[in-house]
Amino acid sequence: MSTYVVHVIIENKPNISDPEGDTILNDLVLKGNNSSVKKIRAGKILKFTVEASDKKKAEKIVEKICQELRIFNPLVSKVVIEAKTN
Amino acid sequence: MSLQKHETKYVKDTIKRKLTKTELQIVAAEWSEHCSYKSSKKHLKMLPTTGPNVILEKGYDSGVLDVGDSYVVTVHIESHNHPSAVEPFGGAATGVGGVIRDILSTGTRPIAILDGLRFGNIENDAHARWLFKNVVSGIADYGNCLGIPTIGGEVEFDDCYKNYALVDVAAIGYGKKDRLIKNHANKGDLVVLIGGPTGRDGIGGSQFASNSLESEDRSAVQIPDPFIEKLIIETILEARNEKCINAMKDLGGGGLSCAISETAESLGIGIELDVDSVHTRESGLSPDEIMISESQERMLIITCKEKLSKLKQICDKFGVTCSTIGHVKDDKMMHVKKGKNTLALLPAEFVARAPLLDRKKTKPKYLKQIKKENKAKKTLDYSKTILKLLSSPNISSKHWVFRQYDHEVGIRTVVKPGFDASVLRLDNGKFLSTKIDGNPKHCYLDPRQGAIGCFEEACRNVVCTGANPIGMVDHLQFGNPEDPEIFWTFMESLEGLTEYAKFLRIPCVGGKVSFYNETPLGPIKPTPLIGVLGIIDKTPFLPVPPNNGDYLIIIGKTRDELGGSEYFEYIHKFIGGICPSVDFKDSKINMLAVLSLIKNKLVKSVHDCSKGGFAIAVSELSIFGNIGCNIDINNMPFVKNLSSEKILFSESHSRYLLVIDQKNIIRVKQFLSKKKISFAVLGKFSGDQINITYKSKNLVKIIVDILRKRYFNGLEDLLKHG
Repeated sequence: MSTYVVHVIIENKPNISDPEGDTILNDLVLKGNNSSVKKIRAGKILKFTVEASDKKKAEKIVEKICQELRIFNPLVSKVVIEAKTN
Repeated sequence: MSLQKHETKYVKDTIKRKLTKTELQIVAAEWSEHCSYKSSKKHLKMLPTTGPNVILEKGYDSGVLDVGDSYVVTVHIESHNHPSAVEPFGGAATGVGGVIRDILSTGTRPIAILDGLRFGNIENDAHARWLFKNVVSGIADYGNCLGIPTIGGEVEFDDCYKNYALVDVAAIGYGKKDRLIKNHANKGDLVVLIGGPTGRDGIGGSQFASNSLESEDRSAVQIPDPFIEKLIIETILEARNEKCINAMKDLGGGGLSCAISETAESLGIGIELDVDSVHTRESGLSPDEIMISESQERMLIITCKEKLSKLKQICDKFGVTCSTIGHVKDDKMMHVKKGKNTLALLPAEFVARAPLLDRKKTKPKYLKQIKKENKAKKTLDYSKTILKLLSSPNISSKHWVFRQYDHEVGIRTVVKPGFDASVLRLDNGKFLSTKIDGNPKHCYLDPRQGAIGCFEEACRNVVCTGANPIGMVDHLQFGNPEDPEIFWTFMESLEGLTEYAKFLRIPCVGGKVSFYNETPLGPIKPTPLIGVLGIIDKTPFLPVPPNNGDYLIIIGKTRDELGGSEYFEYIHKFIGGICPSVDFKDSKINMLAVLSLIKNKLVKSVHDCSKGGFAIAVSELSIFGNIGCNIDINNMPFVKNLSSEKILFSESHSRYLLVIDQKNIIRVKQFLSKKKISFAVLGKFSGDQINITYKSKNLVKIIVDILRKRYFNGLEDLLKHG
């Protein structure tokens, strides 16, 4: 058994709007004249520290929990789940 | 995304050519049940819509009521059921946004929100709990960000909404009569789209709402942005003051297609627009997508050339994007172009008026199978039953819900949520009382009497605050109307509402019909929802809690009507029995009597008997005063000899409980006798427990403190530990 830190990165799907990201872009970044910035997407990251036999299993455990507890809504969210060795 | 057979034939006969791809998309969006009301429009005409206070203007999306001193109140109700069932937070929030823009489109400022929420059984269904929590957060987030108070509503749970949600939002606006937008347009006027950019979210949403929810449709989700909405509100109101707006429409279901065709049709004008001028969120949107996108927080404005620069200046001030997308013509055509190419050219009237349907109706078979009596039931201990009912999700206090809402922002809320109806202070010194009510359990057993009952209950709640009902809005929610049995329940409800509205002379000033509310287990129970507005001319009636020595009086007759009651359904798990019906004459004289007692300051508080019946209503009064009550129900006015359980739990209508100070009791009794009202003095408030006796036998004995805990903790405990 090893310990893994599983990152769950949740953001709105690419073609769904993201008011928070847009606001940061338009009302903060672009006001500072950073015209090279074209887009900002806001999201949320959760870090699960999990004990599992391997990386894949750690990711599976976290994915199952997220699905069951509806930590994200698969309808709106794009989710990346990846385990890192602690 | 297709037309039905008869529609294709109608297109062929009328237009005499094949529709272009864009035209087909536009027509399919506009002719969906959601936008066209093709099943219901013919029948909705039966509702009375005029009255001395009603102001009618073409193209209004909300009802307008004159409240005197050159002020108006506007009201509208909408639902966002399908979107909320798949994305509860965003669906509920955008539902609030949509109805607020309807209020705004008449040129009035939104001042309050009410919401009626319905979910599956949260006691044993985690998904229902997830939907419930997120819908409440969505409404709270959107309303709180906008600074518009959510002042009331109702929440109900029933197995028929499994994996589904009914989210109904009503909004109220307020403004000066002379600042109402008088929708009009002249040739050469400009068509301007303001607000958020158009994107791919919500593509095909209205057709999605017109299909049953069998497979989760994933593209139709809309994302709320309350801060843009707030900016739009301020932009529009300033543009209104600067007289920059000739006509206005909010973009809701059906997006631009719907807004353009309906505006052109109602004003008798033509509109030519270029999709390239629409500001979009992402590049590569096809013209069809632009036409039917349901991106939120957008408004369509018609302004004249001279005012355009002023309008743009106001939009700039608030940082709201606006683009001139077209102009007004006099050919009554809807003309969609991309650069020089014509994509769609159809008569606006043809697009806006779908061929209406005559749906078949037949009396549902299930009604014949419903048992009138519950024979299997066992006798229960009444004290335990009352405690169980008080902590049940449908009856227990909903403070877990309304505490998440800012219900005071704007400092108009005089009577706050948690009582019968909420009361708002208006600038002309009057007060507005509002409530929405529904009851699917009653409506399932008898759609006609059930619907009338919801209407009466909303009136009763408003009357309890001392207000005279002046207008109503209805929201009729049913399953698939192609099923003749479901259509029968719709027609019964509608006819019932019409009959009662005509009797009380309360005009219907707005409403909505939502069909295709189906879950994998079948159609929902008929769920008409009625909102009633009442006006208090002078001082609002603030309920005073009962004190030691105060009398308890009941007005109205109790009947053998346990059907659809919480007692049958929650305690005995029995669906059946006789549904409560409203005696019109009693209903009216009881209302007038209560109003007159309030006006003469003879009552301390008034509470209506509804869910859970008399036993629950009196418990709520005791909890309110934190005081016990000794009651003898022997001389309770009833229609024929009733058993004690029927007296305690029957949900008969037109009943009110009054708390009367000792010094007024003789005058109140004299007044009620003189008016020939059925009433009885049932007992006095004192001590710390509720005692109910019947034929010298003690039926109920509960300490108020225990009642209180059960009532206030029921829902919260369930959500925290469920």
